[in-house]
Amino acid sequence: MFGFLKQVGDYTRDAVDAARNLTQGLAVTFDHMQRRPVTVQYPYEKLIPSERYRGRIHYEFDKCIACEVCVRVCPINLPVVDWVMNKQTKKKELRNYSIDFGVCIFCGNCVEYCPTNCLSMTEEYELAAFDRHSLNFDNVALGRLPTSVTTDASVQPLRELAYLPVGEMDPHGVAADRPRAGQLPDQVLASMPKSAADGGESSSTTTKEENAG
Amino acid sequence: MVTSLATTMTALVSPGLDLEFSFSQALQGLGLSPDVAHLLWLPLPMLLVLVAAVVGVLVTVWLERKISAAVQQRIGPEYAGALGVLQPLADGLKLLVKEDIIPARADSVLFTLGPVLVVVPVILSWLIVPFGQNLLVSNVGVGIFLWISLSSIQPIGLLMSGYASNNKYSLLGGLRAAAQSISYEIPLALAVLAVVMMSNSLSTIDIVDQQTGAGLLSWNIWRQPVGFLIFWICALAECERLPFDLPEAEEELVAGYQTEYAGMKFALFYLGSYINLVLSALLVSVLYLGGWGFPIPVEWLAGWMGQSVDAPLVQVITGTVGIVMTVLKAYLLVFFAILLRWTTPRVRIDQLLNLGWKFLLPLALVNLLVTAALKLAFPVAFGG
Repeated sequence: MFGFLKQVGDYTRDAVDAARNLTQGLAVTFDHMQRRPVTVQYPYEKLIPSERYRGRIHYEFDKCIACEVCVRVCPINLPVVDWVMNKQTKKKELRNYSIDFGVCIFCGNCVEYCPTNCLSMTEEYELAAFDRHSLNFDNVALGRLPTSVTTDASVQPLRELAYLPVGEMDPHGVAADRPRAGQLPDQVLASMPKSAADGGESSSTTTKEENAG
Repeated sequence: MVTSLATTMTALVSPGLDLEFSFSQALQGLGLSPDVAHLLWLPLPMLLVLVAAVVGVLVTVWLERKISAAVQQRIGPEYAGALGVLQPLADGLKLLVKEDIIPARADSVLFTLGPVLVVVPVILSWLIVPFGQNLLVSNVGVGIFLWISLSSIQPIGLLMSGYASNNKYSLLGGLRAAAQSISYEIPLALAVLAVVMMSNSLSTIDIVDQQTGAGLLSWNIWRQPVGFLIFWICALAECERLPFDLPEAEEELVAGYQTEYAGMKFALFYLGSYINLVLSALLVSVLYLGGWGFPIPVEWLAGWMGQSVDAPLVQVITGTVGIVMTVLKAYLLVFFAILLRWTTPRVRIDQLLNLGWKFLLPLALVNLLVTAALKLAFPVAFGG
């Protein structure tokens, strides 16, 4: 008898719990309705990719020494380096270089390890094609620079949330010259007292910047 | 028609607008016989209700898309008309001119008959939806029972189209739809029965009349809170709305019984499901939220302003307020259904049947018994 009553009690408690959870969920969805849309009207508006965005890879043919490091660090040995050994000069002569972006996972290992910095990441991400073979970029295609979102007259560039000024949530109508929230590493460095800036931190930063340049 | 006239004559409450009577009076004034006038009147409310149902669907589709977008912090349709109000119209037009495909291995007769059997009962059910004292197509004596029996035809159409498509997903969807409709019809009918018991009538007009005594306070929702919940859950299940949309669960069954349908046949399913949603919302407002009743009775308001309830202007205003109130209540419920769609995850088939048979059915039975007991104990408050 009491077992049955306990069962009924448990069942009722479950039902009440379920109802309460449902109301909580409804409160959440109802609250979300008042929030502003985060829509970016894509072909007309585009987000500015972040500085370290890993987009389509750019390649400079003249800098390449055909060392094939990019092939070795690539997870699937994707870059095709077509070179011949010149017997007279005893040097490699590069003929062609290609990366198939239909297969590339944009991990950036090749860019990271390239000894002459002939590989770099661009902010291009619109790689849709009608034929997958057209995604196999040769050294000419790899050498083209993408059009920047900020310079394209037909596109309204929008800043991502992290790049907006303090207090701004909507990128629409934010003036381009208003600085982003927070400081960049070099700004932090400049604001620090001289003695602290002379420490190990600054030297490592400068070496990195020298590498990048 | 005749019955609606008869109820008007015998009704003790304010007769309200009687458009048919005025219409036939006007035509008889032009020298037509009463029979011809009646014949000319007949198609008008039917056409009006059909148009109202379709417009209601267009509004619901637009609302669904806009509210869904708002819940997900998107914008939703924007370019077709102001705020995208013409988007559902554009969708309908697209479906209208699309190729009508009948799969080669499908049973073409059943395949065509399926969507028709789904839509016709739903539209037919609008017969009994009242927007005012005389503002309904026909005041059928068995009103709400007619709706319950008509909605039982729908699963046959769903099963038919699922089976005739000759597709495993369609068949599974059709079977689920049939199982769902059958198991949720019983608690639904029991919840309705409790209301019917309180108002001593199956007619939707009488059910609303019984709730008009003291405005907001006399609505059935206060006397039937459990019944209201049961009815709403079951109505959602009957409409295959989201917590219960297993028959067309797109992640598992492609589109359920609609998988093989395209063009106008698909549009019929689409139309049918949305008409059904609006109809269910209207019936919830009729059964539990006082139908066309204003939260404060219009008769009181007229009395306070020193106007006679029978004055023509007051009658027109009362009729308008009635239509607005019915539609407003229904669309509030539609809004709630859409919000619920983005709040609740889909239930599994076993959870669905458990909820229907092990929770709602006993609860509806207890609700019915308690209502009967209360009716015997407090005949004043529970329509003795």
